[in-house]
Amino acid sequence: MERLKTNALSKSYGGTHALKDISMDIIAGEVHALCGENGAGKSTLIKILSGVERPDTGKVHWRDAPLPLGKVDAIEAHGVVAVHQEPVIFPHLNAVDNLFVGREHAMACGIWLNQASMRKQTQNILATLGEALSVTEPVGEMSLAQRQMVSMARALIHQCRILILDEPTASLSARESASLFGRINVLKEQGVGILYVSHRLEEVFKLADRVTVLRDGASVGTWAIKDLNRDTLIKHMVGREVPVAPPTSSPNVKPTKQPVIEVSALCRKGAFNDISFHIQPGEILGMSGLVGAGRSEIARALFGVDRFDSGNILYGGRTWTSLTIQDAIAHGIAMVPEDRQLQGLVLPLSVETNLLLPSLANHECFRGLDQGTMRSTAGDLVTQLGIKTESPSKPAESLSGGNQQKIVIGKWLHTHPTLLILDEPTRGVDVGAKSEVHRIIQALAAKGTAILLISSELPEILSLSDRIMVLCGGCNQGILSRQEATQEILLRRSLPTDSGRDI
Amino acid sequence: MKGGIRKVFAYMVRYRAAGLFLFIFCLLTLVTLVNPTFLEWQNLRDIAVQAAPICIISCGLMLVLVTGEIDISVGSMMGLLAACMGAMASLSRGNWPPGVVIPLTLGIGMLLGLLNGWLVAYAGIPSIIVTLGMLTALRGVTELIMAGTWITDLPSGIRFLGTGTWLGIPVSVWTALAVFLVSLWLVHQTAIGKRIYAIGSNPHAARLAGLPIKPIKVFVFAWTGLLTGVATLVSVPQLSVVDSGIGVGLELLVITCVVVGGTAVNGGIGNLGGVLCGVVLMTMISTVLIFMKLGEDATYWSRAIQGLFILGAILADHWISNQRKT
Repeated sequence: MERLKTNALSKSYGGTHALKDISMDIIAGEVHALCGENGAGKSTLIKILSGVERPDTGKVHWRDAPLPLGKVDAIEAHGVVAVHQEPVIFPHLNAVDNLFVGREHAMACGIWLNQASMRKQTQNILATLGEALSVTEPVGEMSLAQRQMVSMARALIHQCRILILDEPTASLSARESASLFGRINVLKEQGVGILYVSHRLEEVFKLADRVTVLRDGASVGTWAIKDLNRDTLIKHMVGREVPVAPPTSSPNVKPTKQPVIEVSALCRKGAFNDISFHIQPGEILGMSGLVGAGRSEIARALFGVDRFDSGNILYGGRTWTSLTIQDAIAHGIAMVPEDRQLQGLVLPLSVETNLLLPSLANHECFRGLDQGTMRSTAGDLVTQLGIKTESPSKPAESLSGGNQQKIVIGKWLHTHPTLLILDEPTRGVDVGAKSEVHRIIQALAAKGTAILLISSELPEILSLSDRIMVLCGGCNQGILSRQEATQEILLRRSLPTDSGRDI
Repeated sequence: MKGGIRKVFAYMVRYRAAGLFLFIFCLLTLVTLVNPTFLEWQNLRDIAVQAAPICIISCGLMLVLVTGEIDISVGSMMGLLAACMGAMASLSRGNWPPGVVIPLTLGIGMLLGLLNGWLVAYAGIPSIIVTLGMLTALRGVTELIMAGTWITDLPSGIRFLGTGTWLGIPVSVWTALAVFLVSLWLVHQTAIGKRIYAIGSNPHAARLAGLPIKPIKVFVFAWTGLLTGVATLVSVPQLSVVDSGIGVGLELLVITCVVVGGTAVNGGIGNLGGVLCGVVLMTMISTVLIFMKLGEDATYWSRAIQGLFILGAILADHWISNQRKT
């Protein structure tokens, strides 16, 4: 039987064990799912199997012969190929060069490239993937999904026997995902073994034959999919029961209080129209709606990133008809943007520095910054937020996505913003970290911060928000209290109808 | 109408070679109207001879920039290579035959490039720092070799490389043409060419794809060193005197040509046609200024204009990337 077998793989970075003693196997013709929270070691395992990294100890056997570890091209030559989460794409090159760079077809003793053959093969592969892409246009000018397809095609030009897919549907639409699943089933029938990594458990149950769960760099076990259900799988991933019921919070809102912010008839042409709402201290206002309904645009207007055409914002004892980011910050508005890596963190700086950036002024003393109190405050925050890091002085980029998000939100705990805008705070965060992020959000609200929570996840909105505003096509579809809102109502209101469609 | 002009302008900015070609053409027309002698064979030949070594080095430096690195040591490297070549070949010093001097000069150039590349790729030092160090160090070594003297007695065999002609065209221009053709082949028809662009385009993906990033970086630096040797051999013997000041400021001129030619300073983009146009334009400018009868000021202006061009080119790149984003 053809199989890829790992034998006691271990890898550590600095003092952190990224992988401990992993032994598993992938059999030809099966879809083997790899599950685990962010930071469980999935990426490291994939990097080792594809040759990007070399393990500290352990071996990988393919057809009972050891694989040459740490050499991408040699491993690919054995038919073990990975499609990484970030597409392996060279934006300035065309599709042909993207597929063949590193494994070019040469002729005439290697002094001349065989462009015709590479172009032909590229067109064939893209055709089997059902994509009509230009092979001369730079790939950087294609859509994200098309780029993902090029990256996929790059893997498929090999006669691959083991295909590793890392979060392949992360940037695909439902239709594109469906065509990918079709492709996976075809490959499976051809006897290709597939290692499938995904956070989306429904995909795992739909595709996989077996599941291996990683937790904290170690293998928890491998199960046949029929022996698992969603709850048991999550339990294995987290290592504890995750409460299915929403994290409850006592109502922090006293209805008599003066609202923190009052928005009236806010308009921005082409983005949102006639938006009015208010938020009270300690209240969480959820903002629900489909992607493109104008939620992020409203948030950006409130934070002064984008201007608005008409309407006003009553905030901090003033009526604003236009405001800048500096105004917003000066009056205690904080925003956690959607893209945490790009906009929410200074990745090369330490966890400690990132945590203290918004409150540096609190640590100023006569000789500059008081390192002692900074260190202790940061240490407190790390424990309080449950950030998993070797030490607070490690760079933020060394943390997993969920832990990075804890920093992005948790850094506001010490500054007491009056209004905090959270845009998709748990996107890409794994199950365990998600509930910790929820806990942090509730802690902030309990301290009296008004929170505007944008989320596409209905259960999240429903469990955290005191009131929920639904947007559709840039228009307010009504504000519901927590008691009257249900998933069905929210979804129904956020779907476009004829009256609410055009703006 | 206004949109049409805008479109043409956008095209010119985007397809740098076409834009530069048009610009050169307009400049030529203008200067010929003011002074028709500009188009005389002798003058065009002088410009070509001046452009040849710049073109040779630019072909290498473009590849360095495409990988996302930079090399600012080529001027000092040329100075050192000139001193070495002079010391080996001069009748009063080494008096070695050209058959020995030529490969040795090229070899030293390549070794210096290898050293640059090794320090950048394997020792992990940023290329701007490595080559800044080399810029200073190599100039110092040059001064040690020359020890305050001049070399005036290059043998005729070496002199031929600088002053000889074939079919009425100087050796240096033929060499530049050959280097340009080899570079075209390297970029478009070899695996290493494709990999150079891939590395600069997305270094992270290059790592995931298992591309040999370090050897390729060493290659582009060594190739630039070798080409600097070639440029030294065909340009320095034109002068009757070799001193320790050869190549001062050359690195800036070459970088200007490469960047004006549309090469992205962040890597991934670079077009040999554009670079050639950049070289022609930048070498024409000083001559043009003289022919525009600006008098004494002409020489002072050329530096300022060189600087304006590099800023303009970077602004244009910036403008393009902003346009793509929206």
